Order: sequence, then structure tokens, then C-alpha cells
Amino acid sequence: MSTTKRGWTLSATALLALAMTGCSPAPAPGGGTGEAATTITELDYYADAQGSEAWQKILDACSRQTGVKIERQAIPAAQMLPKVLQGASSKTLPHLLFTDNPTLQQVAATGALTPLTDYGIATDGYYDSIVKAGTYQDKVYGLAPGVNGLALMYNKDLLTAAGVQPPTTWEELKVAATKLSGNGKYGLAFSALPSEEGTWQFLPFFWSNGADLAHLDSAKSVEALKYVTELVNAGAASKSVVNWSQNDVADQFVAGNAAMMVNGSWNLARLDAETSLKYGVVPIPVPQKGGKPTVALGGEVGAIPATGGPTQQAAGKVLACVLAEPTMLEWSKAHAYVPSKVDVAKKFGEQNPPMKAFVEEVETARSRTAELGEKYPKVSAALAAAIQSSLTGQQPAEQALAQAQQASGS
Amino acid sequence: MKAGKTLVGVLVVAVLLFPLYWMVNASFQPSGALLKPSPDWFPVAGTLDGYRKALGTQGGHLLSSVLIALGTVVVSLIIAAPASYALAQLKVRGATSIVFALLIVQMIPGIVMANSLYTVFGNLGLIDSYLGLVLADSTATIPFAVLLLRAFMVSVPRELSEASRVDGAGHWRTFFSIILPISRNALVTAGLFSFLFAWADFLFAVTLTTGQSFQPITVGIYRFVGNQSADWNGVMATAVLASVPAAVLLVIAQRFVVAGLTSGAVKD
Amino acid sequence: MTLTAGRVSPGRRRTGYAGFAFLAPVLLYVVVFFGYPLVANLVMSAQDYTVRSFYTGQAPFVGLANYAAVLANPLFTTAVLNTVLFTVGSIVFQFGIGLALAVFFSGRFLGSATLRSLLLLPWLLPLVVSGAVWRWMFDQDHGVLNALLRLVGAPVPWLTSTTWALPAVIITNIWIGVPFNLVVLHGGLRAIPATLYEAAELDGAGAWQRFRHITWPLLRPVTGIVLMLGLVYTIKVFDVIMVVTGGGPANSTQTLTTWSYALSFRDFAFGQGAAVGNLLILVATGFGLLYLRSLRSTLAEAAS
Repeated sequence: MSTTKRGWTLSATALLALAMTGCSPAPAPGGGTGEAATTITELDYYADAQGSEAWQKILDACSRQTGVKIERQAIPAAQMLPKVLQGASSKTLPHLLFTDNPTLQQVAATGALTPLTDYGIATDGYYDSIVKAGTYQDKVYGLAPGVNGLALMYNKDLLTAAGVQPPTTWEELKVAATKLSGNGKYGLAFSALPSEEGTWQFLPFFWSNGADLAHLDSAKSVEALKYVTELVNAGAASKSVVNWSQNDVADQFVAGNAAMMVNGSWNLARLDAETSLKYGVVPIPVPQKGGKPTVALGGEVGAIPATGGPTQQAAGKVLACVLAEPTMLEWSKAHAYVPSKVDVAKKFGEQNPPMKAFVEEVETARSRTAELGEKYPKVSAALAAAIQSSLTGQQPAEQALAQAQQASGS
Repeated sequence: MKAGKTLVGVLVVAVLLFPLYWMVNASFQPSGALLKPSPDWFPVAGTLDGYRKALGTQGGHLLSSVLIALGTVVVSLIIAAPASYALAQLKVRGATSIVFALLIVQMIPGIVMANSLYTVFGNLGLIDSYLGLVLADSTATIPFAVLLLRAFMVSVPRELSEASRVDGAGHWRTFFSIILPISRNALVTAGLFSFLFAWADFLFAVTLTTGQSFQPITVGIYRFVGNQSADWNGVMATAVLASVPAAVLLVIAQRFVVAGLTSGAVKD
Repeated sequence: MTLTAGRVSPGRRRTGYAGFAFLAPVLLYVVVFFGYPLVANLVMSAQDYTVRSFYTGQAPFVGLANYAAVLANPLFTTAVLNTVLFTVGSIVFQFGIGLALAVFFSGRFLGSATLRSLLLLPWLLPLVVSGAVWRWMFDQDHGVLNALLRLVGAPVPWLTSTTWALPAVIITNIWIGVPFNLVVLHGGLRAIPATLYEAAELDGAGAWQRFRHITWPLLRPVTGIVLMLGLVYTIKVFDVIMVVTGGGPANSTQTLTTWSYALSFRDFAFGQGAAVGNLLILVATGFGLLYLRSLRSTLAEAAS
């Protein structure tokens, strides 16, 4: 008799173990009923040391100011959507969420977010494009304290030695990059990963040339992709761009292997740390002289998931504090972002010369989801695949983009 | 003649193990040196920076992997050992079908399991949990362990366990006091392989964790490579550290390793 | 699995109950962790499981639409072709090199055992580690392979060209798989009686003839099993490709496994990911059954 029992105990232990963790890790949403909850959970992807530290300071300040305790969780950027989705299915969403513009749209589309008007957060004074980035089906679900974008950074010493001026047009960029290449070094570095990162880096060329995401196979779009492909084919940029992340691009730039790079403002702190490196920043070159570049808006928007109970209001208070002008300025300084309110940004640009190019670009920048909303990721994936296909010479630009258009339409 | 063969053998080994040398070499180089046009063949300007970086950023991941691997060993052996005993020594109907089933389930691609486990674990709150990962990793180790242990226990003379039962011992006492001690070597082999598998697991680690509370070392390396591949010395130092269990096992437990490796393929 | 329990009739010996008690944990585990995922995957492949499903918990039934979408995707052909090339390329070379080394190391000479066991190392390392090392060696501008190739001619765009990326991951996988083939085949060689070779040598047979007429035929059973196991494991390789190329560039190294992963965990189209996974199961079990047939007789007698 005892023998059978022991067998059962074994399998029962396994079951029990399953059941136990089933209920343990979830922080009870809502907290105590009745009285105001004072602890909220916050999720962001500032997982790198510098960004994480700067963001922690912002949260600490707002925690003091609002009297709300903040339990912060930081995860790698690529894990943001899976993590939120998993939180949605197990009803363990964070109370406050900071994520990028396309992810926000995806999350909003699930119905898991609450409009910011519920918390009395207004959109006055923000750049239009920034408000659009947080708008899903006419309701504002997210706002960013600061934004970022891409610009062209160049190595002053290398350009001077070659007698090259920082380029402002596509033609100048091509000539300069070609001249700066050779001996295992390249004039330009950028990222063309088959992911959002690759699309994001290509969009300034794509949009500045007048192409739009609803028509990936348009003549303007083909022209932009051909231009970038030629840079690689001519040896002005390494073939490795198809495998480089933006971090790799910065590494190549710092190592002196690339004279210029397309990269974001968040790299400035790192470049400043390299004492032997003298660099300058100019807006992304445009197709024709006198034009203005249209870069994609980056940066993280704050949003409040529907978790129910008084914690939602507490999260609202914290978000309002993060979006207040002093915090905005603080965050922008600490992480080299552009403040998302027009007046604050202008003042900020005057005080921080390396940021001027970025502030200029924000005026004409576009939110990635403005045209397509939650459908953006699919189109972006198709476009990134087309970029890879063209850069590796697998397909000519026309054909790659035609296929992308088909894939993004289905 | 024989010395010549040894020489050729050494050459073959040197060529095949060159990637490992290259990993160790890179792990000692300063990170800037790795982006030079021509590589340094020896770590002359050796530095421990890579290891500092590796331990600083990946030390916790190594520890997580140790916990997961040990957990998998325990779960696998607890479930597999009694089953093997029953399949090998007790007359159980359907034993052949069970063995076939275990062989078949080993063929199921991990990605299929990951796909459905992800959604189930999401609902159960087992994403980002050690227990969840241990149970998932055991899908690869349990069938293997049962087959390996059964193959060994079949060779244990039945008279031995029958004699014990005639003496009045129950099945469980026979199992614990006769079968398990005799099967010590097979248990060590099954345990070793369970450890190595769970230690090396990447598929379940990357799909069933989000990196929020802990990250197994394989995912750590993967994200390290993906995020800053110019930090190759840090990546390679981490890779060296992640190889340590395999190297240690090869040195101290080689015969078990070879036993496990061949058991799956060569007839008992 | 309740069948097993049902069969235990009251008339049977005590062994029946005890056997079941010993087997219960493993049966339960198999049902929960193999049976359930298989069924769940089938169900999911017939659902439109999207980002929204996670929040609402609802995924509409769409019949075979996911399979249709997957088959219509231009990536399908690429993935199938890559899977075949990857599997066949890996196995042919793993086996060929493994056999050559097994024969070489079966000759007894100073240090043969030590050298042979050193060769096990690549197989024991976590695949992610091997992948990372090779990725670094394949690097276009700073990799050691191109540094060597520059000495003799032109460097190869290993990971940046759509033609070379697949060979690159195959090379990596060959390197990983050689030790397994070596050890198992070596075990098989050791089982061949030395007297046969001595007799053949007396009859004046050369090295090649001895291999052709003694080694090869007598090694057949082991060969069959090694190739089958190789096939089954290579078809589902994930780690190596993910770390070395991530399926790129331009999807040139996407296999059914990595594609299924990308569909589910990158695009969050879990329905389509499940559909690709099920197709993969079909292929894998097809080969698996072949393998089992080769094992059947041995097993049946061992289990009785």
C-alpha cells in the first residue's frame, strides 16, 4: 500500500510546484482597496548603465514629489512587447509603462491602455508629431518627456585630414564618404539590421526624398534605397552594415574605422567620454540642396495600462511629474534627448550646441506610426527585409520594394 | 611511423580546436585591439578587462544557469529513475510503447514546444520563473535519462531484485537499496548530460524569459553579441566562462561523457 | 495514458500497481509537457493569434488560413530549401570527417586516446558559445578567417552576403557535429574483431580494400543510426543559426525552425508560427519513424 502512495507523492509534488509558482509572482494590481495606493510598478527598457542611472534619478525625483513609491523594472528593448503582452495575458501589467512609439501603438491596439485625459494630462505646447506618436484612434495614450532622432556625426580630424567638409546633400555625402574610404576604413557607417533598427535608420533617407510608408514601391522610395545601396556597393560603407546594430556603428566610429556615422543623440555621452575623439554633428544630408531632412521620431512615451483601482491615478500623478518642464529639461540634459515641448526644446538647443542639429530636426520629424498606426510594425519589417535584400545584392531595389509592398499589404 | 601518426593527430586536433584558442585569445585582448585590420595572434598585450566586464555584466547570469542546470538534474533524475526501473525490471504492460513514445517525443522540435509553452506559461505566471525553465528544459533531458537508465538497468540481473523481494523488501526498498546503488554510474552520466543540456539551453531560455528578473548565460551571450559586438573581448571572456563546465566535465568525467554519448546510438 | 492504469486488472500481480506507481511521474510529465503542447500547437495553428489575443484572451478560429498564408509566403520556399541544404550539408561533412577521424584514431599510437577526447570539446560546449566564436571568426573586416584569406587572395563576405551566409552556418554546424560522429563511429570500429583485419592482411588486402570490404559493411548498423540521429537533430537546429546570422542577411539563412521563431516571437503571429512548427514536426517525425524502424527489432527484444 505504502508503495503506491509514494508514487503519488512524487507526481503530486510536481503538480504542487506548478501550482505554487502559478500564483506567486504577480504583484496584486490595485493594491489595497479603499485608501489611496502608494506603490506602483514601472516598466522601461533603459537597460544600459548610463541610461538606467539617468532614468532612475528622474523616477526618484518624481517619487519624492508625488509621494508615490515606484518599483522599477528595466528589460532589454526587444523584450518590451513580449513582456507587456505576457503581462496582459496574466493580468500583471505594470502601472506605468515607458516604451517606444511603435510598441505603444501595438499595446494601445490590444485595448490595454487608458487615455491620458483620464488623468488631466494635456497636450498643449508639445510638438505636433510627438502628440501624434502617442495617439491611437484619436485618443492620446502616451506622451514623451523627451525625444531623439538621427543625425550625421563626423570625425573632425579625419575630415580635416582629407580636406572634406561635413556634407549636407546626398551628392556631397557620397563624394565625402567615398573619399574617406580605403585601407579597410569606411567613410560612412549606419545600421541596416533586418529589424526596426534598420528601418529606423533608413527612414530619414526615405522620407526626406518624399516617399511614404503606404507606398513602399514608389519611385521616390526606390530612389532612396538605390542611393543607400550605391554607398555600400561603392565601398563608401562596409558590407557589414547589414549586421551592425547602432551600437556597433558607434563602436566603428569610436575605433576610427568609420569617418562618419548615422546615429542618435543618445550616443553623445559616449563620444564625449572618448577624450581623443573630436566629433561634430550635422543634420542628415538631404536629396537636394536647401531641403530639410525628415527623420523619424524616437524616444520613449509614458503610458498608463488599465490595471484598475487607485494605483492608476497614482501612476497618472507620476507621469504628470515626468512630463513637467523641469523634469523634461533634466532628462534631456542627462540623456541627450530633445525636450518634447517646443519652447523648452528651443531654449535647450541654445544651451547645448551639440544638440542643435537634433533640435532643428525635431521640427520636421515624423512619428513612425502617424500614417499607419498599429500596422506600422508589419510594414517596417517588410521594408527592413527589402533594405537587406537590396544591400546584399540579392534583389534590385525595385524588385525588393515591390515584394515588400506586397508583403505589407497582405 | 607511429610518431608520424602522433604528429598528424596533434595537427588535426590543433586545427579543429583552433576556434577555442581563438576564443581564449580574444578574451585576453583589450577591446580596441580586436577592431584592428590584422589580428594579434597571441594575447601579448593581455588584459583581464574582458573578464572584468564578463563577470560584472554576466556573473549573475552564470549563477542563474547553475541553478537552472542543477534544478533540471534533480527533476530529471527524480522522474526518470523510477520509470527506468519499472521499464527495465518490472513486468509492465505497454513498456515497449512507452519506450517508443519517449523516443518519438525526442524528435519534436523545441520551437514547437516553446511556441505553446510560451502561451501556457504566460497564463500560469511561469514566464521568468526558474521552475518554469527547469520544467521546460526537462523536456529534453527526461526522455534521454529514462532511455539511458533503462538501458543500464536492463543489464542488472533480475534475480538480484527478485531475491531482495523474496526477502520481504517492497518494490521501493528494492529500488532504493539495490537498484539505485548499482546504477550509480548510469545515474551520474544521466545527471551530467542533464546538467550540460540545461546549461547550454538557449531556445527555452530566450523564449520563456524576458530578462527582467534573471537571464540564463546563453541568453546573456546572445544579447551581448547582439548589442555590442565590438566588445568582443567581453563576449569571448563570457564564452570562456560559459565553457568551463563542459571543460571540467571532460577532464574529470570523461568516461561518463563517452558512455552517455554512445548510449543513444550504440546498441545496449 | 489512463489505458495503462485501466489494464491493471485485479487479477494481476502486485507488480502491475507498483509498475504504474513508478511510471506515473514520467507519464504525467509526458502528457503535460509533450502531449499538451502538441495539441495546443495544433489548435493555435488554426487561430488568428495576435497581439490582441494576449489581452482579450480571444483568438478567432480561422481554419487553414495560417497554413495558406505560410505556404503563399515567398519565405516558405527559401526556408524549406535552406533547411534541406543545411541538414544535408551538415550531415554529409560531419559524417565524412567524423568517419575519417574515427578510422585514423582507431590506430593505436602515442596519445591517440588523449587527442581523441580533446576533440570532444566542441560538442560539449553550449551551442551559443560555439556560434559566438564562429561569428567573430567570420567577421568581414576583423575576423581571423578573412585575415588568413587576405594573405592568399580575396576575403570572403561570410556573413554579409546572401550566398556565403548559409555555407558559414553549415561550417559552424559541421565543426560542432564532427566529435559526435567521431566518437560513435569509433565505438563501432572498436567492435569489429581485429582478427578479420589480420586475416585480410595475410590475404594481401590493402588498406582501402580492408576498409571497403570489412570496415564499411560491418559498420553499417552504427552508420545508419548515426546518420538518422544526425538528421533528426540537424533539422531542428536553432541556436547556431540564431547566434551566427539570426536568419539573415536578407533571410538567406532562415530555416523552418528560425522562421517559426521569427513568426511567433518577432512578428507575434503565433498562429503562423505554430503552422510552420507543425510542418516541421511532420518532416522530423517522418525521419524519426525511419530511425525507429531501424531500432525496432533491437528494442522489442530488450523491452520484453
